[in-house]
Amino acid sequence: MSINFSFIIIDDGELDCYVTQKFLERIDKNLLVRTFQSAHQALDVIRDGYWDSGSLHTVILLDLQMPLMNGFRFVEEFEKLDAEVQKNYSIIILSILNSATNPADIARILSYDKVNSIIEKPLTREKLFLLLQKAESSINVL
Amino acid sequence: MAEKIKILYVDDEPDNLFGFKASLRFDYHILTAINTPQAIAFLDNNPDIRVVFCDQRMPEKTGVEFFEQIRISHPHPVRILLTAYTDVESIIDAINKGNIYRYVKKPWIESDIISAIFEANKFYMANSMLAVKNDELQKAYDELNKFAYSVSHDIRGPLSGILGAINLACEIDDVEEMKEMLFLMGKSLKKLDTYILSMHDYYSLQRGELNVSEIDFNRLIEDIKPLYTVISKTDNVTFNIDISQDSVFRSDPVPLKLIFNNLLSNAFKYQDKKSIAKSVDLSIEVRENKALINITDTGIGILGSHIGEIFNLFYRANFQEVGSGFGLYNVKSALLKLNGQIEVNSVMHQGTTFKITIPSI
Repeated sequence: MSINFSFIIIDDGELDCYVTQKFLERIDKNLLVRTFQSAHQALDVIRDGYWDSGSLHTVILLDLQMPLMNGFRFVEEFEKLDAEVQKNYSIIILSILNSATNPADIARILSYDKVNSIIEKPLTREKLFLLLQKAESSINVL
Repeated sequence: MAEKIKILYVDDEPDNLFGFKASLRFDYHILTAINTPQAIAFLDNNPDIRVVFCDQRMPEKTGVEFFEQIRISHPHPVRILLTAYTDVESIIDAINKGNIYRYVKKPWIESDIISAIFEANKFYMANSMLAVKNDELQKAYDELNKFAYSVSHDIRGPLSGILGAINLACEIDDVEEMKEMLFLMGKSLKKLDTYILSMHDYYSLQRGELNVSEIDFNRLIEDIKPLYTVISKTDNVTFNIDISQDSVFRSDPVPLKLIFNNLLSNAFKYQDKKSIAKSVDLSIEVRENKALINITDTGIGILGSHIGEIFNLFYRANFQEVGSGFGLYNVKSALLKLNGQIEVNSVMHQGTTFKITIPSI
């Protein structure tokens, strides 16, 4: 399978970052993947143009429940970035969902242009293919 | 007897006010007002007024109108109307608009007033008890909400991470990769375990009684020191301890240890990895029935905007995975139990100092 986009993983869990990255690299070991345990750091890197995606479109895999800046805040801040920057990215939520997650928050986050879909953790092979499909379609709509 | 019950009496007749005060002032704290603006001023300045008596017939405002007004602006005192007129209309108004607790007929006799005060005070106490319980309940609900979040983030989080890792492990053959993953899985589990231990601390602090004994700080620190001596060696952080105690200090050793353990583990955990001269200084001084404790580190520091929140349950001022958001909340609860105080000073990239004062019990 050939993948023509790169990935940024944002998750405060070290293990989660590692697992998602490995899952992706198993499909294509040359895939460009970078992980961030802090949404703040990721936002800075994206804003300041320090992420070299090798001119590929970047899919951001975003966890929701994180300390300091959670996924919801990240998306809000991301939407404030230059349109020129934003257009190179799409966001897929990869998170635990449960009763503590407010359905209104989920509905709101899905209403953002850049947020493509939600996939519930833990990641499995099947979910991974679903994820890649969604990522693919997120580029095609552009 | 406990403090006297504070009572406000409003009437436009100075003689009535005088008579009321004269006959009741030995048993109650009586305030009298000749008109409603004066009465409002009393209510503003005396939030502990429990019962308000008011005459119905006054020139600028009726008693019912006055009650209708303070029912909203000062809802706590119990309202009792004094009146010589017992027409049904005014009684209905008094009940519906003024929401009065009782009616006392004029001219009043002392026993009527005393029994009205007695009942009104009971009613007031029950209401304030309810308000206190309500606040406690609200606080418990708020914490429960935070718990729900925390359960999903700090318990389900590591579990789903491990599940994901198992799913991945089924597909890989490389032993080195497998080992790396096992290492991370172990770390995740340890974090979960720490979280559950802190949760236990949280409960024991909320519920347990104090178990006071004589504290020898040298021995207490000797008990908890070994763990930090190891971290100090492996992470290359100098650990300085300075204890001076020449008098008896009495306290509960369990919350004391909890305070030391949480603050010390934070001091070692949040060291600046890039820094060359890393240190943690612990000083304890017992004097004048007080223990003064300072814990200073050369760590990453806490951002000024976060300082106010670090003692809140589940607040984490750092994205690193190590925190559970329990530690400093538990420190605060332990200090509350021991009647102690804590102060924080922090400079980003230079370090943090916690200053604690605990009285001997």
